[in-house]
Amino acid sequence: MLLAKDRLPQLLDHLAAQARVYVPARVGEDTRFALYSSGLEPDFEMVNTSLPPKDLLFPQAQSMYRYGFDDNGTPFIDPVHDSDNTVLFGVRPCDVQSIACMDDVFLTMGYEDEFYAPKREKLLIVALVCNNVAESCFCDSMGLDPNSAPYADIQLRQGSEGFEIVAQTEKGQAALSDWKSFLSDGTATRDNVSCTLKVDMTGIKDKLDEMYEHPIWDRISKKCLTCGTCTYVCPTCHCFDISQENRMKLGERFRSWDSCMFSNYTEMAGHHNPRAGKQPRVRQRFLHKLCFFEDRYGKTLCVGCGRCVEKCPVALDITVLIDQIGAADVAEGAEVLEGAAHGN
Amino acid sequence: MAIEIEHGHVRAKEQLVPIACKVAAVSEETSDVKAFRIQTLDGKKPFEALPGQTAMLSVIPYGECMFCVSSQGEDYVEFTVKKVGYVTERMHFLSVGDSVGLRGPYGNWFPYEDMKGKDILFIGGGIGLAPLRSLLTYVLDHREDYGRVDLVYSGSTKDDLIFLNDIENVWPTYPNTHMHVSVYKGTEGWDGEVCYTAPFLESLGIEPEGRIAVLCGGPSLFRTCLHSLLEKVGFPPGDIITTLEMKMKCGIGKCGRCNIGSKYICLDGPVFSMAELEDMPWGAH
Repeated sequence: MLLAKDRLPQLLDHLAAQARVYVPARVGEDTRFALYSSGLEPDFEMVNTSLPPKDLLFPQAQSMYRYGFDDNGTPFIDPVHDSDNTVLFGVRPCDVQSIACMDDVFLTMGYEDEFYAPKREKLLIVALVCNNVAESCFCDSMGLDPNSAPYADIQLRQGSEGFEIVAQTEKGQAALSDWKSFLSDGTATRDNVSCTLKVDMTGIKDKLDEMYEHPIWDRISKKCLTCGTCTYVCPTCHCFDISQENRMKLGERFRSWDSCMFSNYTEMAGHHNPRAGKQPRVRQRFLHKLCFFEDRYGKTLCVGCGRCVEKCPVALDITVLIDQIGAADVAEGAEVLEGAAHGN
Repeated sequence: MAIEIEHGHVRAKEQLVPIACKVAAVSEETSDVKAFRIQTLDGKKPFEALPGQTAMLSVIPYGECMFCVSSQGEDYVEFTVKKVGYVTERMHFLSVGDSVGLRGPYGNWFPYEDMKGKDILFIGGGIGLAPLRSLLTYVLDHREDYGRVDLVYSGSTKDDLIFLNDIENVWPTYPNTHMHVSVYKGTEGWDGEVCYTAPFLESLGIEPEGRIAVLCGGPSLFRTCLHSLLEKVGFPPGDIITTLEMKMKCGIGKCGRCNIGSKYICLDGPVFSMAELEDMPWGAH
């Protein structure tokens, strides 16, 4: 099926009448997934928004419950559950894969997260495969394909004729039958693209399994400012803090994005901190991306979107790190352990 | 037969939203440790915890912390809390009838089934006895199922020893149950051992055959006693069991901070054998 370009605003208006629709757009000087309303011009030419769409499912701050005392002095704890029908329209293959990673975290391993699950249930993912790539894009080195977003409900491929539309899930099929009046028969002609930034992931996970103790972590963490920018712009970083705001009689406990780059992230009462220095924190972040997550969920937690590569103020570039790991001598790690055993 | 520890089980009714509960009793263990018995607002037991499981207890407006259930009764679960930080300090202001939030139980438990028929050596330091207490009381309640029980317990001074009444007057009355207590600094009124835990443990001449060691204490006690158990006493790593602590927020393996490698202490732990820890990058912890 084909969506002609001039029918796109009508389709978005149609969708916006029944759901919250988010499209990539320029907002001020920034780019992000913005709430669509009639007249907003989506920007499907830019490759990646500077902020990922993760806040639709995992808000930067999410109220979980309100608490206080009623007029009889009895304590109450009232959960806050909010979810709306939402359409994420024009999302790129890398960000689609990031949702697959977040689904693993929030929906598997026993506990189905009660705040994430209803939002996810009501989310329709409409992917737009890439017609151009940014300098910092490296998804095809991370096992993805910029020309395909298999985890999306609906996939769009943009050609000169318009958007070729394919439903990939039941949810997507149901949506397409609703969109029928905007669609016509046809296909879109486009050339496949590939990333220009390449890294070789061959054997990286196996090497990292043996590199927990290794001088590379000292070397690469030296320039890190532990500012946390990488974790905030990362589409897959999902760690959160739980905190509260109290007023006179009513309080609210909420969760909010946190960062493994911060020292108080793991600091316990009594000041014992297993990751007090930045070396163990930098190591934790990269091992989580490239090693630990795969052990737990069978996927790499980096989708190659390139946001951290672009935004890191000291150019601590994950693709450079991967190259360095590829070139590293695993045996050097044994020397670190040996040194520690002799008190060096 | 090797001890099998269960991991990654889901037993909590509540994920992130606690239920309102109340303090049913408070007892003062030491100058900075209090035990709180918690029950639902209508006086019932909030949940059944297996020995070693944890729960999030909150002083509602201030925040929540993860604790091991140190013991439980017909209509309560009990937490033993040392005043060390922001929330625990406020917890110590709680009195009977005050409301709290509670969610759990989380995590795995001591392999109390597989330990049947074995001798058990408990090693704890300071507040580290609180998590061991749940297993120790379970074993004593099912005394005939287990072999000899030894508790090696230390505190900085006599005034820092928790559950002292149990140690002196209750637990030794069970058959084949032996208490070995030391302090690091002798004070007036203490006529027992003055010794660090690891050398004290080595001095007792305990044999590893047919015995499981269960260890819980701060980082230095953990390292030194572990070294004693493995290198001096000769325990195989699979027969040493410990319960770990990390900073926790969610309790359900999602918020990210309590990981050691790919394992989350809140969900996969807190109970691990040393054989399991040897496969995890735990050295920094």
